[in-house]
Amino acid sequence: MLMLYALLSYLIIGTVIAILAKKKVFTDEDYYIAGRNVSGVVSALTYAATTYSAFMMVGLVGLTYLSGVGALGFELFYLVGTLLLLSYYAPKIWKMGKEKGLVTPGDLIASKYGETTAKIMAVVVAIALIPYTSIQFVGISFLLGNSMSFEAGVMISAVIIALWALLGGLRSVAWTDAVFGLFMLSMAILAVFYASSMLPAKTDFSKLGELLYVPNSFWTPITFISYTLPWFFFALTNPQVVQRIFIPKDEKSLRRMVVLFGLFGLFYTILVTLLGLQIRLLTEEGVFPRVSNRDLVTPTFINMIPEWLGVAIAISIFAAAITTANSIVLTLSSMFSKDLLRNRSVLAGRVFVLLITSAIAIFAIQKPNYIVDLAVMSSTILLCQLPLIFGLFHYKIGDKISASLTLIVGFSTAVAMYYTKATLGVPVSVWVLLVSFAVFFVTAILEKRFKAQN
Amino acid sequence: MKALEGLIVVLAMCIPFVAIKSVDLTTYIYWCLVSAGYLSYIAFSRW
Repeated sequence: MLMLYALLSYLIIGTVIAILAKKKVFTDEDYYIAGRNVSGVVSALTYAATTYSAFMMVGLVGLTYLSGVGALGFELFYLVGTLLLLSYYAPKIWKMGKEKGLVTPGDLIASKYGETTAKIMAVVVAIALIPYTSIQFVGISFLLGNSMSFEAGVMISAVIIALWALLGGLRSVAWTDAVFGLFMLSMAILAVFYASSMLPAKTDFSKLGELLYVPNSFWTPITFISYTLPWFFFALTNPQVVQRIFIPKDEKSLRRMVVLFGLFGLFYTILVTLLGLQIRLLTEEGVFPRVSNRDLVTPTFINMIPEWLGVAIAISIFAAAITTANSIVLTLSSMFSKDLLRNRSVLAGRVFVLLITSAIAIFAIQKPNYIVDLAVMSSTILLCQLPLIFGLFHYKIGDKISASLTLIVGFSTAVAMYYTKATLGVPVSVWVLLVSFAVFFVTAILEKRFKAQN
Repeated sequence: MKALEGLIVVLAMCIPFVAIKSVDLTTYIYWCLVSAGYLSYIAFSRW
């Protein structure tokens, strides 16, 4: 019952924030990127809330519990990679966006490689992200399992996502992200403090043994690379975060966004992985049951702590999933309406918000196994965009044919290798990068020669 | 792209795989410090 009241409070608070944040929407720029007029602090918080999904408090806590400090290394590798890429590329992308009036990641690609490439990219991105977003729905519906049916959980999630995105577009999404991003951080702090209080006096972390170093039986170098590589380039390959580079109101706000996001990410990662280690230590001390399914570590922990705290942490996980999902829905709707259909009207964007949310909910309710497979490979699929993005800033070669072929071949490589497992022991992400860059350079050189001859 | 900067950061993050093997929080603290150091560099020196 407490969970239902908390959920209702979350819905009301979030809706009030979304209504207060919304301003009149006249153009697609207002709707999708808040008129390029967002402060650095709100930009940072929406970037963080979009990036850090329910994976952190459920997946990463469980991964740390199972595998140890390597999980921290994997997540911090993502963070330093993002800082490296953002500190270099974000000012360039932001400037291009402002000068050329770019609104979607597809606009960015189309500025060099043409509209056909942007259309192919919209399809590739949708195939990668719709199942990934469905998993967020599935996760939070399981989390609410004691309070309502799975289908009701999916429907409530869908209503919240669509409602906040429809109300005021990115401005509403960004402000709800900002408030609930801080809530996520606060609940992670409370969880760590409570787990500390459960540890017996004179507890020694050395009881965790091989979990305290790498490589160990889980984190072999190959495993570490296969986990890390797709996420290292996340800032450039995931459209929902690329689009956020357009939103800060000036360059100072953009820099503030990058630094404050880094600070948020560092603290949140430390808290979440520390919680995973603490819970594992509780297991070694005989206080917490040994959990073999890593995704059940956090739900088990929530069931063992006082109800009010468990409900608050569960709502923070729910919020993390929603803030990620509604950002993806808004970005996908912009790419479908603007890049695929070349329709700049806000009405089309709102219709796509409804259609995409419905599609994600339908995927989630069916719970077929391939959703999980596709979600796992989503970041790997998105790596095929990397040569095109680097090409915007570093290569003179590359045009519509080479760019389109790179996306198609890179995407096909990711899907084929995941299903056939014919990887010769090399991580699929490495293959996708190698194949995508090779196709890009070879076809771009041929394309250039063909153009010169004609 | 500041390739050298990227290389240094990646190598620094890989050090626990070859040089730290202690059964305490050394690896954990090392990774936190490298990340915090790089964030500080971005915040105060890069821009």
